[in-house]
Amino acid sequence: MATQEHCLSYAGCNFLRQRLVLSTLSGRPVKIRKIRSRDDNPGLRDFEASFIRLLDKITNGSRIEINQTGTTLYYQPGLLYGGFVEHDCSVLRSIGYYLESLLCLAPFMKHPLKIVLRGVTNDQVDPSVDVLKATALPLLKQFGIDGESFELKIVRRGMPPGGGGEVVFSCPIRKVLKPIQLTDPGKIKRIRGMAYSVRVSPQMANRIVDSARSILNKFIPDIYIYTDHMKGVNSGKSPGFGLSLVAETTNGTFLSAELASNPQGQGTAVLPEDLGRNCARLLLEEIYRGGCVDSTNQSLALLFMTLGQQDVSKVLLGPLSPYTIEFLRHLKSFFQIMFKIETKPCGEELKGGDKVLMTCVGVGFSSLSKTLK
Amino acid sequence: LSSEEEDSENEDVFRKKYPKPSQVGSGQNLESENLIDETSDIEDLLKEEEDYKEENNYSTETLGDLKWKEELSRKAAEAFLRQQQATPNLLKLIYGTVTEDNEEEGDTQEELGGLFHVSQPDGGCKHKADSLDCSRFFVEAPHDWDLEEVMNSIKDCFVTGKWEDDK
Repeated sequence: MATQEHCLSYAGCNFLRQRLVLSTLSGRPVKIRKIRSRDDNPGLRDFEASFIRLLDKITNGSRIEINQTGTTLYYQPGLLYGGFVEHDCSVLRSIGYYLESLLCLAPFMKHPLKIVLRGVTNDQVDPSVDVLKATALPLLKQFGIDGESFELKIVRRGMPPGGGGEVVFSCPIRKVLKPIQLTDPGKIKRIRGMAYSVRVSPQMANRIVDSARSILNKFIPDIYIYTDHMKGVNSGKSPGFGLSLVAETTNGTFLSAELASNPQGQGTAVLPEDLGRNCARLLLEEIYRGGCVDSTNQSLALLFMTLGQQDVSKVLLGPLSPYTIEFLRHLKSFFQIMFKIETKPCGEELKGGDKVLMTCVGVGFSSLSKTLK
Repeated sequence: LSSEEEDSENEDVFRKKYPKPSQVGSGQNLESENLIDETSDIEDLLKEEEDYKEENNYSTETLGDLKWKEELSRKAAEAFLRQQQATPNLLKLIYGTVTEDNEEEGDTQEELGGLFHVSQPDGGCKHKADSLDCSRFFVEAPHDWDLEEVMNSIKDCFVTGKWEDDK
């Protein structure tokens, strides 16, 4: 696996995380050129530099070279080490940006990873820690990554622009991943949610809950939306509120949607009622897309299918997101894995849009760092 | 997937779809096996053929045994072509394009007075290369969830909806 084939070369800063993650897992070095080379402010941004520093912390012996303007990055991956790590994430992106990649890498560490991440817990761009906790963790459990130490704890909330949130993520290590056969999502039996508010009136969360329920109650009666109002040091440095909703099916599929208020000083003020209603509609969109994995976690599922034992894995997905499509291309270049992709038209059934069935045979990945004990 | 695995998988699918070959007749088997060689998209083809099998059962009763066998291969081929045109081939869309960065775009650049380069505006591809790295799949054309018919389109996704007979 660690044969030093010629390094893969890419251009542009998009998909930086998946390139570096796949490089780390496959052991192939990667070179990324022309990072914002035509931008007024060229080169890597703070949040990307912070991500690279995080990779350096959890690996051993990585070589990272960045040119003077920051437009070219060369990354030769080291071994995944893990252990106890602390990291201050950039407040330009939320912790979810970093956590998504950690979820891909954590099961393959030499020592189980326990990491404290500080920064923005909920923003409007990346999946929030609430959504990842409610959707990505159950997904990993399907692959046999489970146990008492498997946990994502939100200690403090922090909204942009100030941040100040803190989460603790710990993940056990696994030698092999179980292949999955997720072809039937089942039916949605309940909807759960989390309405949070920090440094604003606690009444905001209640207003969100009422408006979201008014839409979702037409579909299913079993709805419970928790309100979470953190105070004092636990509420971070900026005011804000938001909602995340998760629909759970009879077969253990979790579909999610979320919205957060505009950051302080940016854009117009959002009414909690509007936010609640719009978030509920987003959840309905996600249900319309459907599949056994929600749209943010598509690539995570496909990665673990690729890295699983040499056995057939199948998963039914909704329409593939642009991020997932690029991820499939990257999986092909790093692991020489091509998926069998079949469209499943929705037909006459009242179950939303067309679905895609993805099938592959795992490469039988076993982490290199564990064999070198 | 190696080609071997794909082949064996195709055969699996084939066997599942045709548990009783005697019922179908050997002529059709041969035809569809030819078509496997021609195309990789076997599943769609078989689906189409199944549809046609039902139609043809009807003609069996009225027109006799040989007639429907003659028509079958042509119909299957046509159906396959139609299917190919109607649905974009996802496999080709995803894996067909070159994803690694294409070298030397500078060669095509004009020079002014042998000194200045004309900086070409970023094309669509370049724009994508430097855009935001985000895994979320934002909804571009939201449905109007206040409409009854839109609400009905996901009715059976819930436990309150209609259940399949086998559950």
